[in-house]
Amino acid sequence: MAKLYLKFEDRVIREIALSVGVVTIGRQPDNLLQIDNPAVSGHHARVYWEQDHYVLEDNDSFNGTHINNRRVSKVALNDGDVALIGKHTLVFSAQGGEEVLAQSKSSDRSVAMQSQVDKVRPPQLDPTVILDTKRAKEMLARAAAAASATGAPAASGNIEGSPVNGPRVPSGRRIGTLTVLKGKTNAKYYVLSSKLSVIGRSEMATIRLNRWFAPQIAASIQQREDGYFVVGAGKNSRIKVNDSEIGSNQKELKAGDTIEVAGVRATFGFEG
Amino acid sequence: MPFAIEVAAQTDVGCVRADNEDNFGYDINCGIFVVCDGMGGLAAGEVASKIAVDTLLQYFQDRTGKSASSQNPSENVSPRARALGEAIQRANHAIREASAVQAGQAGMGSTIVCALVHENFVSFAHVGDSRIYLVRDGSIRQLTQDHSLVMQGLRLGLISSKQAASSKLQNVITRALGPEEIVEPDLDDMIAMSGDTLVLTSDGLTRVLTDEDLLACITAAPSVNDACAHLIDSAKEADCDDNVTCLLIRFVEERWYQSCIRRFRTGSDHGKAVS
Repeated sequence: MAKLYLKFEDRVIREIALSVGVVTIGRQPDNLLQIDNPAVSGHHARVYWEQDHYVLEDNDSFNGTHINNRRVSKVALNDGDVALIGKHTLVFSAQGGEEVLAQSKSSDRSVAMQSQVDKVRPPQLDPTVILDTKRAKEMLARAAAAASATGAPAASGNIEGSPVNGPRVPSGRRIGTLTVLKGKTNAKYYVLSSKLSVIGRSEMATIRLNRWFAPQIAASIQQREDGYFVVGAGKNSRIKVNDSEIGSNQKELKAGDTIEVAGVRATFGFEG
Repeated sequence: MPFAIEVAAQTDVGCVRADNEDNFGYDINCGIFVVCDGMGGLAAGEVASKIAVDTLLQYFQDRTGKSASSQNPSENVSPRARALGEAIQRANHAIREASAVQAGQAGMGSTIVCALVHENFVSFAHVGDSRIYLVRDGSIRQLTQDHSLVMQGLRLGLISSKQAASSKLQNVITRALGPEEIVEPDLDDMIAMSGDTLVLTSDGLTRVLTDEDLLACITAAPSVNDACAHLIDSAKEADCDDNVTCLLIRFVEERWYQSCIRRFRTGSDHGKAVS
């Protein structure tokens, strides 16, 4: 896979893997390859794939794009070509690593992701693009591999606090159970395999209450990534966990906890 | 206590596009609510999203009163959520069949977000980057996770939320109705409480408005109808370049006599459509 190296005074400061997409170059931050220098125009030039080769096209920039001391408007790129943009040089290499993301030293992985996507995105199709499942999975797997290969901590500020490296591995999550000790229900033992188990008289309820005046929905037990939680169905629902009222809060359930709601008393546990 | 629901929905072509590829639909008696965002050139996007909405409504109108036919108890959601999943498969088929027949519609697709409501028991499902939000007690929570490259990258910790927000890949989605033989919707259930508002939206709205904007619009408006209009206006003021659609469902607890009066007046068992 071909690459572009952005150099300043013989030092490589950026490296971009090329694909069948457009790499925009310029001073403005919306460029894929931003060169923050006054000698560079806002949207200075572009590199993209045309039929069977890469081309570099100058966007009528003020200071121009030069290859071998010649100002160019549009040229086919050959291996080892050096373009001068302002005070920076751009080196084109026809052979690069096979693994785009794994070798990208750029800390901005979205750039690597972008070039991956450009490969599958025909320019100017529909505003929304669908990646097929296989490609999306490959792409994310590769990005994950890159993240762990570089050993770099995953970008900070990810909202869910998901594991830093690689895809989230489904932990050996245990399935909760509920054993009824007291009260009229349609069964005495429940396996809480659903994400949501409702306690109530409603036909939607998993733990169905047979008492005539029982509420339609008295409470629900939610299975989430981080455990099981019991939640009341409304502001007036009275739920006790281990004999203390939980009010309108949710309460995480631990093995051995007892729940009391709408005349039913049950203990929570885990399967196996 | 019985629950009534108030519904309002609106779609707008937005500030830039020439056509509206979004579609929505609902049937308050079946409790089905759908928003779809179509894609594909030459009006095919409109067709795809329309097919998806119609298929969903038809599916639940046909099976009113029947129990869920989908029998796969290994999944960890309610039979009603599984029924949504089945309806979405059908919509996927319908779109694929239509695009196979009509030359101009090859490759069309659509996102979908839908909710199936019975009293205050809500099952919901989505494919793509259309979303459901829950507004409860002055706070807002997104219930769905976009099937988009950016959001998946974010969830896997590959990019930061800042990078995600500024990414140019916002428009790349990883699941949709149409492109593949089998579609994998995300299914879930929840219990609504009195005063809750559910918001089903296309990405046109959520690209330009933050969660806080949504919350402010919804809590400030006296009715769902106003909230809906306010959301669309805000999106247009923010120069949205896409179609915008939102569908709001508000849950209102009623006393038994209020419910009797409503049934008597409107002849509806389930609530009222505001717009």
